[in-house]
Amino acid sequence: MSKKQKYWINKIIRTVITAFGVTLIAFLILHLSKGDPVKIMLGPYATEENVAATRAKYNLDKPLYVQYFTWVSNVFQGDLGTSIRYNRSVNDLIKERVRPTLILTGGGLLIAVTVGVLLGVAAALRRNSWLDYFSTFQAMFWLSIPTFWLGILFLYIFGLKLGWVPIAGMTGFASIILPVLTIGLQQEAWFARPMRAEMLEVLNQDYVKAAKAKGLKYRVVVWKHALRNALIPIITMLALRLPWIIGGSVVVEVVFSWGGMGSLLVNSVLARDFPVVQAILLIIAAAVVLANLAADIIYSVVDPRIRTGG
Amino acid sequence: MENNELAYEKIKEDISNLKRKKSSQMSLVWSRFKKNRLAFVGFIIVSIVIFIAIFAPLLTPYNPLDTDPFNRLKAPSAEHWLGTDELGRDVLTRLFYGSRIALLIGVLIILFEGAIGILLGILSGFFGGAIDVVTMRIVDILRSFPVIILAMAIAGIMGQGLLNVVIALGIVGWTTYARMVRSKILSIKETDYVEAAYSIGESTFSVIMKYVMPNAIPTAIIMICIMMPTALIASATLSFLGVGVQPPSPDWGSMIAAGRAYLLRAPWISTSAGLAIMFTVLGFNFIGDGLRDALDPTTKRN
Repeated sequence: MSKKQKYWINKIIRTVITAFGVTLIAFLILHLSKGDPVKIMLGPYATEENVAATRAKYNLDKPLYVQYFTWVSNVFQGDLGTSIRYNRSVNDLIKERVRPTLILTGGGLLIAVTVGVLLGVAAALRRNSWLDYFSTFQAMFWLSIPTFWLGILFLYIFGLKLGWVPIAGMTGFASIILPVLTIGLQQEAWFARPMRAEMLEVLNQDYVKAAKAKGLKYRVVVWKHALRNALIPIITMLALRLPWIIGGSVVVEVVFSWGGMGSLLVNSVLARDFPVVQAILLIIAAAVVLANLAADIIYSVVDPRIRTGG
Repeated sequence: MENNELAYEKIKEDISNLKRKKSSQMSLVWSRFKKNRLAFVGFIIVSIVIFIAIFAPLLTPYNPLDTDPFNRLKAPSAEHWLGTDELGRDVLTRLFYGSRIALLIGVLIILFEGAIGILLGILSGFFGGAIDVVTMRIVDILRSFPVIILAMAIAGIMGQGLLNVVIALGIVGWTTYARMVRSKILSIKETDYVEAAYSIGESTFSVIMKYVMPNAIPTAIIMICIMMPTALIASATLSFLGVGVQPPSPDWGSMIAAGRAYLLRAPWISTSAGLAIMFTVLGFNFIGDGLRDALDPTTKRN
């Protein structure tokens, strides 16, 4: 077996183990609650029969491992369970709310990467200029501000004071701007700094010097040769930041009364609607696990020098 | 030319510092840290916050929980420098007392996650094998969940309260320490001095205590300073989402959440609490950046 094959087999085994662990945690989280989850779900006025019926309905009267395997096998057949609060299929609830969340995370990601890469490249090309200092300073600023407060500030300034955008809810394109900016600007800091460092390193490489020496225009050297290679580590950064972008979008959804999966999750946690909580946790973690694997694959395709060690 | 001489003088000074004191490494770090202007600003900011937290009762004539129905949502004035909130409580007083909650939660989270993470990081880095495989897989699994989401689910299900916030964030947060410390230990393990220590017959335990730990400590200190802002922001976020410290506690995150309903009539409630969080976090970020440069001059961005 070649080293490369070994690396990938190892990687896939690790991904499978992680995926298994993720289902275990999403499942077990319900059992963190003190006392009987069914009684908590149904409230203090539930009758004994009611409690017993619900327990049977959600398989809570069976041993833990039976519950787990029933849940997992249902999930694999595409059935995420039934919401207690809405008495509706969790699949339907989530289906309605996937799109708004994807718009937020996708838009946030796009802004974060675009602004981050541009600022990073600019800072690297004009080292120690005011632009470089500005880039460093603004990164520090975004890192020091809680996402939810940034959202509220934006809402206050652009929504309430200036009246440029609607202050809540999903009402057309204008309502997308603030939430997406809140996520994107904050995450951009994580791309600008590594991008600057990477660009500086690449600009020092021999092939860039050679490209310059053979008389290529500076602009072509920078944007075609240097940038393309400096972007490679950003792929890893993307996968690393994805959980934070999703986490940020949950908070932002609450701030902007955005009807996505994030606000559904928060409301379900507060209402102890456990099947919904489990399902959303599982979906988010699965997305992160898959994104990590995808990043590894893309990385190895675009950069054949990939290290095959650990 | 002059620059070279300056650099030479500086190295000489560093070396003499090194010889003069027994805790030479620390004094070297301190002298580098002092020269970093941003880090010094951060140090002052954090000192101010700690001062306020300790002396809060002496700094304000009001009680953070005393309501005053006749003075609701009053704008900043001579009596109430930052105005009053929706129950007539003095906002500045609540900010002052809020620093106690913020620092307490931050320190508790770091102690909790740091203890677990550093211990597991050292064990898995040094011994490898099964303990390493198991620890790292658990790290992978936990890191598949966004920190704030898993912590919110855990805190929400366990029930609100300060201690549950600490547990919820700590359960997720230790993975960062474990990974950093582990990779540091792996590189220390390869060094000549560890090999030398073994060859003169030191036991594994004394190698860890005498050579590995002291060299891993800078990494751990940097980690703690980097994680403090994360802990502060995350615990405020949990309060905002309604699963953290509960009202009427003067918690900054809950103050922002409560002030949100009065943004137009009384913007000072949310704004001042938000600035308090930002100010504190910025201070810790400056210190963290300065420490990173001071403890590890090779990574100095230049």
